[in-house]
Amino acid sequence: MRRTAIVLTALLCASPILAGCSDEESPAPTSSGDETATVEITFSDGEVTPMGDRVEVEAGKPIELVVEADEPGELHVHSTPEKEFEYDAGSSTFELTIDEPGVVDVEAHDPKVVIVQLEVS
Amino acid sequence: MPGDGISLAHGIGGAKDLPIPPELAILGAVAALTVSFTVLAVAWRTPRYDESKTGRPAPDWLAGVVDSAAFRIGLRVVGIVLFAYAAVAAVFGRDLLTNPVFGIFYVWWWVGLVPLSLLFGPVWKAISPVRTINLVFARLSGSDPEAGVFHYPARLGYWPAAVGLFAFVWLELVYPFSTELGPVRLWCAIYVAVMLLGGALFGSGFYERGDPFEVYSSLVAKLSVWGRRDGRLIVRSPLANLDTTLAVPGLLAVLSVLFGSTAFDSFKDSSFWVRFTQDSDISTNLLNNLALLAFCVGVGLVFLVGCVTTGVDPDTRRLELPNKFAHSIIPIVVGYIVAHYSTYLLEYGQQTLIQASDPFGNGSDLLGTGDWTVNYWLSFHPTFLAVLKVLAVVVGHVLGVIAAHERAIELLPKRHQLTGQLPLLFAMIAFTVGGLYLLFAA
Repeated sequence: MRRTAIVLTALLCASPILAGCSDEESPAPTSSGDETATVEITFSDGEVTPMGDRVEVEAGKPIELVVEADEPGELHVHSTPEKEFEYDAGSSTFELTIDEPGVVDVEAHDPKVVIVQLEVS
Repeated sequence: MPGDGISLAHGIGGAKDLPIPPELAILGAVAALTVSFTVLAVAWRTPRYDESKTGRPAPDWLAGVVDSAAFRIGLRVVGIVLFAYAAVAAVFGRDLLTNPVFGIFYVWWWVGLVPLSLLFGPVWKAISPVRTINLVFARLSGSDPEAGVFHYPARLGYWPAAVGLFAFVWLELVYPFSTELGPVRLWCAIYVAVMLLGGALFGSGFYERGDPFEVYSSLVAKLSVWGRRDGRLIVRSPLANLDTTLAVPGLLAVLSVLFGSTAFDSFKDSSFWVRFTQDSDISTNLLNNLALLAFCVGVGLVFLVGCVTTGVDPDTRRLELPNKFAHSIIPIVVGYIVAHYSTYLLEYGQQTLIQASDPFGNGSDLLGTGDWTVNYWLSFHPTFLAVLKVLAVVVGHVLGVIAAHERAIELLPKRHQLTGQLPLLFAMIAFTVGGLYLLFAA
């Protein structure tokens, strides 16, 4: 009983490593191919949509930010290093790629709002 | 406001870690659960860590070096040089995110102290510039640095450090202008002033209880192999060392602030919280303030309830139990800090070293590190990172459960030794599963 418990514990402790190893071998599925991920952002009457949603994107693949705005402003992408995009009233499109996996906030700064969190993996 | 247009309201972090995969979070939780009850079932039944017997003396040559005046003074010089360098950058540098003072303050100091203390013992005590200044003042005035005007009230214990640590995490995690030079400078000035005043009033013993960074570093150092007995340097197992933690008033408060704030840092970046605060009519800043406080107080309360709901001898005071068990949270805190801050320390730590070469923001390269580039290996291996996180949390949990078990068989009456541990065990499982959940959901 005692031995079983110890063995079981050891196995359970080791399993994340095993799981981790097998994971690393197989790269993430590339079903989306070279498709561009598109994030639509709307500014209207001082309101922004979306407001803090998570969007999953692939590392190293192009991402398109499509902005529809009623006044000019600035987008801040808090990747490493940071990126900034100035937009005018009307619609504008910005393309970017993020190579480093992580969660990257896209923010408007007036008012300070997290528009989307890009989950880059 | 800074001149370069980069937002400073975001902390010095750019990208944050990916959430850990759900299967790893579940595996970690199951492992923690299994190990907890296994420890309870199979671990020793008589106390095993007697402070007067555990460990063995460190080799003479090592003790000789560590206790030599040259080594001690050398470390004090290192501390003062770092302090002076940061102070010069803070006073004469530019108010830009590239000023190294932010990285030195939030990354090297706050996070870097943890691995240093784990490896080398109470590092901050050895290099603390406020201790050194107090020492020099005492030397100059011909008085004893250990002695102050008053005796430090024992009842205060670690409470001043708990308040100081809360002030730090508040500045880092909640205060909207945490990466502007003015507030950081003011915070440090107040810290130094309070520390020097404390040293003058109560003698250098004040730092052991009242310096937030010394308390933080020395508690983490309880998981190192370095200890002392009768002044002699000894080497003992981290668990035996952990058992020598003093049950000082405010110990639980210090650890609750450390654990609660780290958990809050994970939580505040979750999509749930971001959306909730932005949708709410209440100001985001107020909500963040309340949530930080709630996390810290919540951790303390869960642990407190876990400790006092046990049967005790008539001569044991129930309310003394939480501080007597609180050392068992240290490994949980350290495990979670490793999980939460590894990328931050490695990547922003490197960036800080690069920025440190140009403290005034005028393009100079004083240290010759200015043209180095940051190695982002860890971020580019998210699976490795996720496994590291789960292992750190689970190992911290296991050490915590063992430490609490040892204390329970020492303190609780025989018939309550097993059942008395259960509420505390549930509290710890709640911390660990909660921590894993935050790593997965944030």
